[in-house]
Amino acid sequence: MSDPVPFLFTVVLLSLVANIGISLYGVFTRPSLVKKFISLTIFSDTLNSFAIAIGFRRVIGSYPSAAVLSSLPREPGELSAFASAAVDPLPQALVLTAIVIGLAVFMFLAGLIAMYYRHYGTTRMV
Amino acid sequence: MEVVPISIAAAAALLSVAATYLAVRSGDLLAAVVLSAVQSVAYALIYYILMAPDIALVYIPVSVGVLPAVTVLLIKKTERYEV
Amino acid sequence: MRIREVVIAVSVALVVLLLAYVIEAGGLGPIAPRELRELAASYLVNAYNPWNVTQSALSLEAVTAIVWDYRGLDTFFETSVLFASIVGVSLVFRGYRERLGIGGRGLSEIVKTSTRVLLPLILIAGVSVALHGHLTPGGGFQGGSFIAVLLVLMSIVFSLDFVVERGLTSGRLLALRSVGLIGVLATSVALLAAGLALGVEAYIFQNVAREGSELSMPQWLLDRPTGGTLIFFNMFEALAVAAGLALAFLVLSLREEEVREALGVGEWYE
Repeated sequence: MSDPVPFLFTVVLLSLVANIGISLYGVFTRPSLVKKFISLTIFSDTLNSFAIAIGFRRVIGSYPSAAVLSSLPREPGELSAFASAAVDPLPQALVLTAIVIGLAVFMFLAGLIAMYYRHYGTTRMV
Repeated sequence: MEVVPISIAAAAALLSVAATYLAVRSGDLLAAVVLSAVQSVAYALIYYILMAPDIALVYIPVSVGVLPAVTVLLIKKTERYEV
Repeated sequence: MRIREVVIAVSVALVVLLLAYVIEAGGLGPIAPRELRELAASYLVNAYNPWNVTQSALSLEAVTAIVWDYRGLDTFFETSVLFASIVGVSLVFRGYRERLGIGGRGLSEIVKTSTRVLLPLILIAGVSVALHGHLTPGGGFQGGSFIAVLLVLMSIVFSLDFVVERGLTSGRLLALRSVGLIGVLATSVALLAAGLALGVEAYIFQNVAREGSELSMPQWLLDRPTGGTLIFFNMFEALAVAAGLALAFLVLSLREEEVREALGVGEWYE
């Protein structure tokens, strides 16, 4: 029996790819602006998930740990042991700010859509 | 060792595909919001399994808390049914 | 119309196939590799490294160390983008002011009672997540979003009037937001100002002692490490994010009467 983990991980990644396709379809073809808005939020979440998936790694003999030291290190050796078992923290740091700023930008977009409806009396775009 | 958590992540990913598809197809926008919240919960589970607790902590209040509330407000101000 | 739909369907399918091919061919790097990238290893080793202080952020959490120390300037400008979009939301509904006594009285008494129990718990969780950002998973952005959910919950369950009567008007939220941003700015130049005053060399966004500069923020609070500037950054960022998101939500949830008054009737409305 070969290692099933790469297969399962590929399932996760391909599901994310499918989500990208479905949400882009929603953005392009659905007539309602609100539906385009919902699809766009799904699209941005999916792209963030890709960044997180790139930061994941595998560790021999155990499950990888989060990028957080659980106690104050007493000797330099503990630090290299931590680095050999933890996941990549850089994509997480980039996605962290992207999510919050994305929320603020989506709120701005929601305000614009509400104004559009006030002006034209509909949210249909086509 | 890793098989069980990654299988859960794969199941959550498949669930998110189903939720996204139904959200995009649904004509009732309120149902679409609920389904996109389901997709967000699945993503939060994936983040937790991929060992990103920071992202899970920020993603749950943002994408399951505030964003559906904003979208429901938007639907209340505009119209509920597509087409 | 038919041709347009076919083009969209084919291009979306092509995007999906291309991305799937890139992943299958290893274009994103090997899937779930066993080795760590060198950059990531250096961040992990140096995030809390008292034996190599000049390259360390002295934060037990590597993500917070990257967000506010190694890439602090980046995060500072992202905070500015956040502020700009909040300003954009307020500009779309410019000229409004909150009026009491219109709209609903909130949800039923059962929901209100259980929410009253929940509110302090959410507040404590948010503050704790923000202040322990350099020790446990969390930080300013996470804590701020927690506290923003608090206000969203209040305005839905108890009605907008309840929130405004408690003094959380949009003007005050904007002021809180600005206090947070000024705090972030002041923390980032604190050591530079101290260096200029003492006549020694210091850097902007300096956290602990760096090469050529011995200045350092306090590193210990009683028996806990504070991560130097990180605890201040997390505190002010939590304030800024919470007030900003709450302000945007408050403006978006304005009632029809208030918006109509703000925009002037007739010309705009229908």
